[in-house]
Parts: sequence; structure tokens; C-alpha cells
Amino acid sequence: MDLYLLSPEISLLALALVVILLDLFIGRKWILGWVSIIGLIVPVIFTLSLWGRNETSFGGALAVDHFSLFFHLFFLGVAALVLLSSTEFARKFAAFRAEYYALILLAATGMMLLASTRELISIFVALELTGISLYVLTGFLKDPKSSEAGLKYLLLGAVASAVFLYGMALVFGLTGTTYLEGIAAAISAEGLLGSPALLMGIVLLVAGFGFKIAAVPFQMWVPDVYEGAPTPITAYLSVASKAAGFAVILRVFYEALGPASLDWGMIFAVLAAITMTVGNIVAIAQKNIKRMLGYSSIAMAGYLMIGLAAVTTEASSALIFFLACYALTNLGAFIAIIAISNKINSDEISDYSGMVRRAPLYALALALCLISLTGIPPTAGFMAKIYIFSAGVNAELLWLVIIAVINSVISAYYYLRVVRVMFLGEPLSKEGVHASSGLRVALSISCLGVLLLGIYPWMLLKFAETAASIFLP
Amino acid sequence: MAVGLEHFLILSAVLFAIGLYGVLAKRNAVVILMSIEIMLTAVNITMVAFSRYSHVISGQVFVIFIMVVAAAEAAVGLALIIAIYRSRKTVDAEKFDLMKW
Amino acid sequence: MIFAIILLPLFSFLVISFVLRPFFNNRPQLSAYTTICAIVGSLILSIWALIAVNGAENHVLTSTSYQWLAIGDTVINIGITMDSLAAIMVVTVSTISLLVQIYSIGYMKGDGGFARYFAFMSLFTASMLGLVLADNLLFLFLFWEGVGLCSYLLIGFWFHKPEAARAAMKAFVVTRLGDFGFLVAIIFLYVKTGTFDIGELHELALAGVLGGSTLTLAAIGIFSGAVGKSGQFPLHTWLPDAMEGPTPVSALIHAATMVTAGVYLVARMFPMIASSETAITVVAIIGGFTAIFAATMGLVATDIKRVLAYSTISQLGYMMLGLGAVGIGYASGHLDGHHALTLGVAVAIFHLFTHAFFKSLLFLGSGSTSHATGTFDMRKMGGLRKVQPWTYVTFVIGSLSLAGIWPLAGFWSKEGILHEAHAYTPVLFWLAMITVFMTAFYMFRAVFLTFHGEYRGGKEGSHSHGLHESPKIIIIPLVILAIFAVIAGWLPVGDFLGADVHFSFFGALTSWLAWASLSFGIAGILLAYIIYVRKLLSAKSIGQSLGPVYTLLIRKYFFDELYERFFVMRFLVDGIFAVFQWIDTYIVDGSVNGIATITVAGGKVMRRLETGQLQVYGLAIFIGILAIIAFLFIFS
Repeated sequence: MDLYLLSPEISLLALALVVILLDLFIGRKWILGWVSIIGLIVPVIFTLSLWGRNETSFGGALAVDHFSLFFHLFFLGVAALVLLSSTEFARKFAAFRAEYYALILLAATGMMLLASTRELISIFVALELTGISLYVLTGFLKDPKSSEAGLKYLLLGAVASAVFLYGMALVFGLTGTTYLEGIAAAISAEGLLGSPALLMGIVLLVAGFGFKIAAVPFQMWVPDVYEGAPTPITAYLSVASKAAGFAVILRVFYEALGPASLDWGMIFAVLAAITMTVGNIVAIAQKNIKRMLGYSSIAMAGYLMIGLAAVTTEASSALIFFLACYALTNLGAFIAIIAISNKINSDEISDYSGMVRRAPLYALALALCLISLTGIPPTAGFMAKIYIFSAGVNAELLWLVIIAVINSVISAYYYLRVVRVMFLGEPLSKEGVHASSGLRVALSISCLGVLLLGIYPWMLLKFAETAASIFLP
Repeated sequence: MAVGLEHFLILSAVLFAIGLYGVLAKRNAVVILMSIEIMLTAVNITMVAFSRYSHVISGQVFVIFIMVVAAAEAAVGLALIIAIYRSRKTVDAEKFDLMKW
Repeated sequence: MIFAIILLPLFSFLVISFVLRPFFNNRPQLSAYTTICAIVGSLILSIWALIAVNGAENHVLTSTSYQWLAIGDTVINIGITMDSLAAIMVVTVSTISLLVQIYSIGYMKGDGGFARYFAFMSLFTASMLGLVLADNLLFLFLFWEGVGLCSYLLIGFWFHKPEAARAAMKAFVVTRLGDFGFLVAIIFLYVKTGTFDIGELHELALAGVLGGSTLTLAAIGIFSGAVGKSGQFPLHTWLPDAMEGPTPVSALIHAATMVTAGVYLVARMFPMIASSETAITVVAIIGGFTAIFAATMGLVATDIKRVLAYSTISQLGYMMLGLGAVGIGYASGHLDGHHALTLGVAVAIFHLFTHAFFKSLLFLGSGSTSHATGTFDMRKMGGLRKVQPWTYVTFVIGSLSLAGIWPLAGFWSKEGILHEAHAYTPVLFWLAMITVFMTAFYMFRAVFLTFHGEYRGGKEGSHSHGLHESPKIIIIPLVILAIFAVIAGWLPVGDFLGADVHFSFFGALTSWLAWASLSFGIAGILLAYIIYVRKLLSAKSIGQSLGPVYTLLIRKYFFDELYERFFVMRFLVDGIFAVFQWIDTYIVDGSVNGIATITVAGGKVMRRLETGQLQVYGLAIFIGILAIIAFLFIFS
């Protein structure tokens, strides 16, 4: 049992506790935000110090490998950007700022654990640590919309938990173990392939995890929750929570249910097609930009699921790469929205009219991110789509890729509509938009990232390939 | 007639279905929360039954974790319901539709 | 250096968007000057490249390429091809672009979006030049979408007009249908060959490695992109609507450059497409049919820009026909090897070259008339010959050139296409000849309606200071383009592209084909003259004359028979037009719009499933689980 392997998680947890404790002694609350941002350096350093290790501990329940370390950095980075973009927003929470920051950190802890555990009980606990933190954060504004969103998220999330727990119970009952490796071994050894009980377990797991990644038809909470939650939390949900879902799916399905990949590969392929189509088509009819991005994130889950359906190492590395590109893009879009909506107090797309004349930089940044979401070069979104689509084609999923390409075409309609409104509409007032330095830094980081990955994707791609290499058969 | 594994599994499946019915059909948010607890209990019964019949203790450990987490979830759930009740004066789940379409 | 041709306008776009528009918005002329300077730079470099290509071995300039990205084992380079085809294209694009920008200074004067306009135009020019120079399909597609985006932004430039916004969306959606096929073809080719490089694809196709149905499908996919971009049947519907944009935009993008990108694409991919007999036959048939189909619609349009738009579609059809005809000759073995491949490109690109000049001249001329009258409706014009002599003369030169009258530019390039069509596709040749007649007719109908007779606009349409000639900044580009519309045909473009075309100023008149097409053209002009200058046979005078028919019959006895015959012809022809238009509106347009409408309506219906009630969401989860279980047990 090497506790050092857990040091990133432990230090992050400690950071969350420090923030809550500091709240008791510090009068100037704005310090708390910066403490949590700067404090993130500690887990980053621990993660980097573990780089290159490939070990398991806690009897095989914890794995420190390229995959988990990649996701450690991913979640820490996302948390940093979300915290940066919250510094101004958090004033709304007055006395509860410390709890807000701490919950963001706790959710990140849960997600980091999720990427590195290889045992069902710890997976469940990590999922719930993430989930409960996010339920509270969603309802944090305490206005009617936010509370309603929080409650919907919690109740449906709990139902989803019950569903995948039932799935886990079936898998455990069939194989007699909660360790992912043991499950895979038992499935092959005892010839469980094709048994209805195992299939049932797989279906329940797909449904439970499908809820986290917002796959149709388990996605219906997404628009409501995204609309009601505080905007930085919406960004967090859309990026980190989804990525955590995919990380755990990759772990569980590749490591434990790998032998049954024919069955779940097909399920994910069909779900992917339905998910991207539903997400894109309904997004067209949206008027609220947060809701629209909610549907867009559903569509993205569809593209991402191509990486699951293909069941190849190439596909999982493409999926990881897509996640990183999507994270930067979506965070950028949400941060720009936070900056703009702080000023205009509205999330209606029509209120963004002529925004380029009121806030040229924010409008341009938002346009860049929307272009990236559409998948037009030279942006990260384009590269991400190229790689995941080519992985799909190589895995004989041409039909799915064709549907995905058609969907990309459809999606241009609603993404570019926002760009049009911003660039061609008449401004509703002449007031400019000014945002805090934290927001500006976060926005520049994400936009530069979007462009950089669009032009020079090498580094990250290599990174994603090493991360996915742990799933080599 | 000896009580076997399948009896437990059937019991838990029935219980799960009852919980599910409650979640989908009851209008009071607190009752929905209780129904979710029933669903989790059904899962717990499955876990314990499998654990007992395959002599692997980890199923029972799992159950303890589920109970703890369910308690935390319920606490947050009740807090949110109170927050809604304060502003809306209702806990009727059908009335929670500020956001739709 | 060659990269600078693309980078200069791109740089101008960046400067205008990030420096001039935010900080110097009170002096919009600066953006115009920036754009013009950048394009002058590109033009000089293009001409330098043209000369260098002419001197280079094999007519190709090699340039370093940079690694851009790798997918699997394939490395994609950012590289450019500067061969004779690309050289001709960049010179054409930058010349027309320069003249149109100069004209725009006058035309767009006082518009609120002056700087925005020039920013978009710079971006467009950069993308168009990039498209021409790209050496691999992926890179080409990137710029292909770039010009599409600029076209969308510029058609919808006056976004406050709902028709403009609708037209922009329509253009975007319709061309994307074609682009979809193009993209699928690119991916398909990549999957089959593992390369995006155009040169390698040609080698594979010529060596027969790439062949059979694979080649045919890929070639047709690529052609579908060209169909969308170049407004060929059945995706032509967006182009007439696109006339809602500012007139210089129509001249540059929707006449001279972007719409010709489709022809360019087929020319660039010609060795590959021509290797498939099916695909090249499709190209020829679509081209030939589009040429006559669009011309019939041009006969009845009343908006001068729409007449020109139909004419553009028709002429693009000609170019496709030229490529297709030679390609059929090649595929069927009548022509052999390298010569055939360059010949096809040469005839089509030669026409593209001359067409760019006279068609942008005509568009800019129509803009000049509208500058005076405030309308594009020919029924509200007339008599402008006296007030706008410069516009009139240049417009007539453009029309004569388009009608293919010796010795103007249009004659030479059209002759080349007709010659090849006659040799390899006799049926399409006769369609093309009829089109020559129609083209001459509708162009001179436009000339006579606009410039002859009496002014019919009344006062409300014209500017307060009455009808007037346009300012010099508008006239000068017209004159320069008019000169090109005369002499462009005398330039050795065909030879430069590698086909041995012997240019002989008077010798051209020795062939029967030249006389045949000339007489078809002149017949068209004469018919227009009889109908619209004498006005006896115009629809309006028919209406007026219905009362005093008898008097009219006596006074105009000499024209009686002609009148009656014409009436019958009108009736029949109108019927055919009506059918064409019905097909156009309800079937072609309808199905294109229908797809968009269904998608949007689908969104509106499906969002209703989101009732906001969490129990419905919970139900969805369980129905989903049951559906997956059912799916699994049915299929496995």
C-alpha cells in the first residue's frame, strides 16, 4: 500500500479542507478563490512526480498509469479554469464562497479517483463524491431555477445510481469479485459471455454511466440542469463530469467487460447515432444559449461515443484527444458567456445581437469556440473530429461516421446562427463588457488552446496515445 | 421449501420495481426520495444475497458504502427540497417545470 | 514567396478586423486602401509566378511544403502547387478582385458596414487564392469551406433585409449538400488510397490502381461538390437568390471567382475524373443540360441581376460541358494520353478566364445602372443609354462578348468548347448551339430594356438628383474590364495550359462552326431587337393592344403573321418555362428547402419531449433501458 500513489488526490482533498478552514479566519473572502487556484499547483506537482510510473496498489484497486495521470492533469486543468472564471461570479454567493470553491475541488477529487480506481466499490464512492458535490453546486444559487435544477439533477442522478448499482450487483454476483481484472478473468474463465444476466448487467451499467455522459435517452436532465445551474458550474458539468463519465466507462468496459466488447460496442454505436442526431436537431430550436450548449454537449457525447463503439486503441486515444479539445472549446464558450451575461443579465441568444460591437474580444472568442464546436478548421474541434471519424472508419463503422458527418453539417446551422447574431445583428445598447482578470486569463488560455490544438495537435495527440495505450489487449 | 438465492433475487427485483413505480408515479418530492431509497435497498438485498451465496465478503462491504452514500444523498436532497419549498411553497414534482423545451 | 499570395489578403483581413475596425472606425476608407494594397501585392506576385511558371521546366514551380498533421501513417503537408492552371487562376482572381475592390469604393460609399465589407472581401480573396493553390484535397476542402463561409457572410451582408438573410442561409445549406458528397469522396479516397495528395491520386488513377466503381464513386462525389459550388443543376437554385448581396459581391464571388471554383475543381481533378467514363459522362450531361436549362430561365427574368445569374449558371454549364466532352473523347479512346488531359482543362479554363472578365463587367455595369435608378427591375429602367453612355458602351461590349461575337473574347473561348462538343458529344453540341441563340437573345433583351426606349422608372425610384452617370471610381473599372472583354480571347491562354491551340485572328472565320455559332448569336440579337426595340411583340404591348386589335392589325399588317406565330410560340415556350419553373420551385427547391424545414421542424417537435417534469425524464431512462434490452435480444 503506497500512499504516495494517492498523493494528488490527498493533496487536493487537503486543499479543499484548507479553503473551508481559512474561511473561518479570513475576512477578505476573495483571497479564498486565489488560494484554491494557486493551491492546485500542489496536486499538479505530485502528479508530475508520479509521471512514468505504472503501478497498482491497494490490492489492485488503485492504478497509477498514463491513463489516470493524463486525467489527473485534465481534471486539475479544468478545475483551475472553472475556478478562474468563478472569481467574479462567486460574489453572488456572499457568505458561502469557501464552500463553493471547496465543492469544486471535492468534485475534482472524485473525478481523479474515478480515473484511477479499478474496483467497483471505489468507483461507486468516487462517482458519488463527484455527483453529490455537483448536485449541491447546481443548486448553489438558491433561486427557484437553480434549486429546481439541483433537485432534478439529484433525483435523476440517484435513480441512475440505483440503476448502475443494480448492474454492478449483477456483475458482482456472476463473477464473485469487485475487481475489474478479476471480473474480466471470470467472464472468460466461466464462459459467461452471452449469458442473459451478464447482458442485463451490461445494459444497466450502460444506462447508469450513460446518464453521466448524457447519452440519449438518459440525457433529459441535461438542458434543464445546464440552464438552471450557475454558469461556471454548467461549464464544469459539461466538461469535467462528462469526461469523468467517459474515463470510468473506458476503465470499466475495457478492463472488466473487455471480453463482451461485441455486445457493448454495438450498443454504444446505436446510442451514438441516436444521441448525436437528437442533440443536434433539438439544439436548432433553442433560444437560450446555455440550453443550446446543453443540447450541443449531448451531440458531442454522440461523437465521443464513436470512440467507445469502435473498441480499438486508436479509437480510445481519439476519444481522449476529443475530450481534451472539447473541454477547451466548451470551457472557452462558457467563459465568454459568463463574461457577456454578467453584463447583460440574459442568456437569450437574441440578446447577443451585435455583441461584436459591444465586446469585440469576447464575441470573437465565443465565435472561435462555436466554430471549433462546429468542427471547422483551424480549430481544435476540427482535429478532434478528424481523428475520431477516421478511427471510426478504420473500425468499419463507416455508417456511423456518415451519420456523424451529416450531423456536423446540421450543427453548423445553430452554432453559426449565434455567430451571425453576434456579428451581423444590431447592438441592443452601446454598453461595453468588462470582465475580471481571472475570466480574461481563463478565456485567453482556452482560446489559445483551441487554436494551438487546431494547428499543432502533436503533443496532445502523443499524450492521448500513451494514455490509451494501457488498454492494449 | 428452502429459501434459495433466486428467492432473494426475485424479492429484490420486485422491490426495485416498487421503488421505480414510486419514483415515476408519486408527486411528492419527499416520497420520490423515499422511493429511491427503496430502489437502493433492493440493490442492497441483491448484493447481500450474492455475497452470502458465493461466500465473498466484498458484497456486504459494498452494501455498507451504499447505505452511507445514500444517507448523504438524502440529506442533500432534503436540503434542496426545503430550498424549493421556501420559494415555491410546494413540493409537488409536477410543478417543477420552470425550465423546459 | 508563393505563400505570400495567400497571406497578403489574409493579413489585410486581420488588420482590418483587429486594428482598423476597432480603433479607426471613423475612417473606413483606410480598410479599402488596405485591401487594395494587399491585392495589388498579390496581383504582382501572381504575375511574377505566371512568368516564372512559363519559364520553368514542365510549367511547374516547386515549393517547400510543411508537415501539418498526421493521421495514422499518412502525413499531410501544407503545400502548394504552382502550375500553369493555378497561375492562370491566381492572375484571374487577383485581377478581377482588384478591379471589383476599386469599384466597391464608389459603390459601397456611405454604407455602415464599409469596413466589414472589405474585411470579408479580403478574407474571401485569401481563401479563393488558397483554394486554387492547394496541393491536397483536405487543404483544398478547407479553403473550399472558407470561400463558402465568406459567400454566406457577403450574401447576407445586408442582414436587415429578410430576403438577404434567407438567401444567405439557402446558399449555405444548398452548397453544403454538394460539399457533403465532396467530403465523403475525400474520406472515401483516403480510405482506399491512403493519400490526400492530388498529384498522387492522379498517378494512381492513370496507372489504373485506382479504378472501377471506387474511382467512379469518388469522382462523382467530387463532382457533386463542384455542382453545389458552381450552381449546376439540380443545385443551381441558390445562385439567383444570392443576388441579394451587394452587386460587387455578385460580380466577384457569384460570377467571376467562387462559382468557378467548381469548374476549377473538376479541371484540377481532371485526370482522375476523366479516367472514369461514367463520371465524365455525368459531368458532360449535367454541364450541357444546365447550360440550356438556365438559359431558358434567363429569357423571362425581369431583374437584371437575375438574368446575369442565370447566364452565369448557363456559362458554367458550358465549361463543364467542355471538360466533359474532352473527357468523353479521352475515356472512349478517341483522344490519347497527356494531350487530351491538357486539352480539356485548356478549353474550360480559357472560357472561365474570358467569362470572368465579361461577366464581372456585366454585373458591375448592372450595379452602375442601379446606382442611377435605385432598382434592378428592368421594367423600371429604359433609356439609360443617354444618361449613362459609359455604362452603356461597356455593357454592350460585355454582352457582345458573352453572345460570342467575333472578335470579342467570348467568341474564342466559346468556339473552343463548341468544337470539342461537336467532336465528342453531338447531342450536347446542338443543345449548346441553341443556348448560344438564347444567350444572345436574353442579353440583348436586357440591353434593350435597360438602355433603350424611354425611362419607365418614374421619380420615386431614382435618386433625388435625377438620373446621372456613375462616378469615375465606378466607370474606370468598367472600362478596364471592357478592354479585357475584348482582348482576353487573344491571349495565348490555351497554349500556356499546354494545348496546341492555333490562334489566327481571321483564320477563325474560315470554319463552318464559327459561322454557325455566329449566325445563331446574331439571330438571337436580331430577335431581341425586333421584340424589344420595336416593342411590338413585347408582353406589355400585347396586353395594351388587346382592345384595339383591329386597328393594330391594319396598321402593322406586315408584322401580323410574325405576331401570331410569335404569340403561339410565346404560349408554347411559356408553357415549357412554366414547367421548368414549377420543377425548379416545387421539386428541386422544395426538396432542398424541405430537408432544412424537416430538420428544423423536427427540432421543434422533439423539444416538446422535454416537458420539464423530472418524472418524465425518469420514465425516459427506463424506456431506454427496456429498448436496449429489446434491441439486444432481437439482434443477438
